[in-house]
Amino acid sequence: MAYLDLKNVTKSYSGVDVVHDFNLEIDKGSLVSFLGPSGCGKTTTLRMIAGFTKLDEGTILLDGEDITAVSPNCRDIGMVFQAYALFPNMTVRRNIAFGLLMKKMPKKESEKRVAHVLEMVRLQDAAERYPHQLSGGQQQRIALARALAVQPRVLLLDEPLSALDAEVRVVLRGEIRRIQSELAITTVYVTHDQEEALSISDKVVVMNRGVIEQIGTPEEIYRTPQTHFVATFIGTANQFFGKVSGGDAVICDHFTLLADDVKDFTDGQRVVVLVRPETIHVEPDQPKHDGWNIIPGEVETITFHGAVTRLGVNLHGQRVAADITVANTKPISLNQKIWLLFPPAACQVMAVDERS
Amino acid sequence: MPLSKRKTGYTSDWVRLVPFLLFCLAFEVVPILFLIRGSIIDRNTSQLTIQHYLNLNHPLYLNSFLNSIKISGLTAIVGVIFGTFIGYAIYRWPSRRIQEILMTLSDVTTNFAGAPLAFAFVVILGMNGVITQFFLEYFQYELYPTFSIYSFSGLTLAYIYFQLPLMVLLILPAFAGIKQEWRESAQSLGANAFQFWRHIGVPVLMPSLIAGVTLLFANAFGAYATAYTLVEAKLSLVTLQIGYMIAGEVRKDPAIGMAMAVVSLIIMGLSIGIYQAATIRARRWSKS
Amino acid sequence: MKNPQKPLRETNKKVRPAGWQIVAVALFLFYMLLPIVSTYIFSVATRWDRTILPEGYTLEFYIRAFQTSYFIITLRNSLILSAATILVSLIVIVPTVYWVHTRLTGFKPLLDVLMILPFGIPTVVLALALVQVYNVPPLARSPILLIGAVVVYSMPFMYRPVSNAMQAIDALTLTEAGQSLGANVFQVLSKIIIPNILPGILSGSLLVFSTVFAEYTLTSLIVGAKFKTFPLLLVEYTRINGNIAAAFSVVSFTIAWLVSILILWVGTKGQNGATETIQAR
Repeated sequence: MAYLDLKNVTKSYSGVDVVHDFNLEIDKGSLVSFLGPSGCGKTTTLRMIAGFTKLDEGTILLDGEDITAVSPNCRDIGMVFQAYALFPNMTVRRNIAFGLLMKKMPKKESEKRVAHVLEMVRLQDAAERYPHQLSGGQQQRIALARALAVQPRVLLLDEPLSALDAEVRVVLRGEIRRIQSELAITTVYVTHDQEEALSISDKVVVMNRGVIEQIGTPEEIYRTPQTHFVATFIGTANQFFGKVSGGDAVICDHFTLLADDVKDFTDGQRVVVLVRPETIHVEPDQPKHDGWNIIPGEVETITFHGAVTRLGVNLHGQRVAADITVANTKPISLNQKIWLLFPPAACQVMAVDERS
Repeated sequence: MPLSKRKTGYTSDWVRLVPFLLFCLAFEVVPILFLIRGSIIDRNTSQLTIQHYLNLNHPLYLNSFLNSIKISGLTAIVGVIFGTFIGYAIYRWPSRRIQEILMTLSDVTTNFAGAPLAFAFVVILGMNGVITQFFLEYFQYELYPTFSIYSFSGLTLAYIYFQLPLMVLLILPAFAGIKQEWRESAQSLGANAFQFWRHIGVPVLMPSLIAGVTLLFANAFGAYATAYTLVEAKLSLVTLQIGYMIAGEVRKDPAIGMAMAVVSLIIMGLSIGIYQAATIRARRWSKS
Repeated sequence: MKNPQKPLRETNKKVRPAGWQIVAVALFLFYMLLPIVSTYIFSVATRWDRTILPEGYTLEFYIRAFQTSYFIITLRNSLILSAATILVSLIVIVPTVYWVHTRLTGFKPLLDVLMILPFGIPTVVLALALVQVYNVPPLARSPILLIGAVVVYSMPFMYRPVSNAMQAIDALTLTEAGQSLGANVFQVLSKIIIPNILPGILSGSLLVFSTVFAEYTLTSLIVGAKFKTFPLLLVEYTRINGNIAAAFSVVSFTIAWLVSILILWVGTKGQNGATETIQAR
């Protein structure tokens, strides 16, 4: 049975659904992230779990107990905010001990607990400092320690790294994941940064306009996106619009693409074919490969990205991205005529999301 | 200009502040130093003396200090308590427009000190004032002579008029500085509303409240025009006493005036010093 | 970086103020407005000492007030004093603030202290000190001494808006940009800095104006009757004729309101200007 269970959760502001019929089961000890563009409802959902925002409809169960109507201070939930939200009038030690004080924990035990979580976030020396004497990254570690000190049933993180520098962000997200798995604490992590979500989560919930687009492991989300939105939101994907023809092809304006998973669609239905740049091979001479898609084009841009080089290829007026590595390809120059080559398995066919 | 000369220009950059510093020296620093010197030097013998300060030990002067401290302290505390309360009401007001109007009103009224304000209070609370009439007509209650606008109680009401809006202006940014996230963090850590105010809200406001008490105290202590127009000789205040000495209405040793001035400078300096320290602390907290 | 996703304020939660808020604000308004409104009514009332509402209305006291021999002279003196103070204040403070924001940033703490100092000196003490030090002609009890005193006393009002405006435009970068294009210090100040901090200069000047125009203590104690300003006339009439004093008070209140509205107007303009500058960057 799921540890944290959201059932038909709906919230609207002035008639507009910010979160619509949201259903999600989260297993004990797992880290689930809510990923989506701003305004997709991910923070609102998180705040409903925390109890700061009331639900219009639906129920939230925590360990089998209905907490929908429980006030935030009785939910036993730890929360970390984007803006740290440390209490400025208290030292680090008193900040961390605050939740324990509210629980009326004996002083000795409380001190032990504070020392333990400080060690966990590797800031033992900062106990007597005030928040304004710490860097942003340090403040966020303390905020994490404060939330963990009360040993909450669920840990909620609301864009915890968005206010930090790129470098600190990468280090700290590793720390968060490490601590989370050490404690096996059930965690919900809200972010708009796909790299962050994919790198630390057990499961990713991709949201758009208040609805769940897809739930899956990071790999599933990246390799087999279920919707047009997910495919375009995560990573880079070339899009080809066309109509389904037969059981294995999509007819586009200037060429026909062979694809594997067309069976679910009816003949003549408008679809989009998504092809990731890294699945495309580039050949200077016309290749022979039966059953693969082979399309000629002209190189318009060459951008060096370190490990790969990305080509911008003109395909009948449409710009297509293709990645090459130096090891696998002969040198390619600007304005060169080339052929793009990719297998039907690389083509993901899905219904067109007219909104995106 | 040769290059070498330009370079030396940087080292003597501070010369550009000379006009300003000279001005401050001439009209601020030197006169105050002169005042201090005058208060500790015997005019005839040119010797150091504390006699002028000892001379302050006279009912007239002691009373004026006592009255000044009493009215400043009273109006500061009343101003801080009610100003904070009104400030919170304004802070929680849902309409931004109304908030702005009330802030502008506070801004204007806190500067309505002096003769026009004093006169306005005579209009409403004088012997035949509107409120005096109102009490007589509807409650058959004669305000005078228990109350008089020309006395300590009347002056207190007039001072509160400019103290209240000053506190409102001072406390509003402090309320705005209490972040929603603090409230929510405290809540998720198990605190109820009362516990939030006790452990976080009030301590965070405390520097601003202390700043408020001291600034309001100094504000009232240094006031002159309102008191001069309203109570004149009926109530003895430090500023009024010093004023009489300048005007030469009382033929007394000017050194006593200087000693009085220095003592009030010390009182004011302490207030403003604490105010400044409290403000710096409040600002530091609101940053993090 | 702001969280673009912060949920919209929970609008359905609080649309109208609570009862205690309405009561608090209403009492506050009552306290703040009753004396002023009463003075306005008193100035046009024929007789208002036996009844709750005036017995009749008249403009007679305004006519008499404006015909008072000193009315024009004191008004003129007040305007001269205000204008002179603003001028001296601008000359002394604007360049100083500029230097402190660009080349001499180390002096900023000193300047901040010097600017808080006037708050710690009661006006009577300042008057006493100045009268004692400068007790020989031509300075003794002269309008020149008064201007010096009033400039010191009103300095913080000029300093803060100008300093804030200077802060907002990043004067150092603008100066360096100007210099790299060949402008000298004078050109940088007149063509770049001053036009950009104009809203700050304007609000500062208006604040100084409204403070100096209402100034009573320094004027009466330093120069007294030799250079009578409008507030002195007002105090004099509170002891001679209440109705005329009311008319003078109304003039005083009205000027204060007008200047405040002007400051507000300049202030919002200035803010727009500042955000535009930031956005343009």
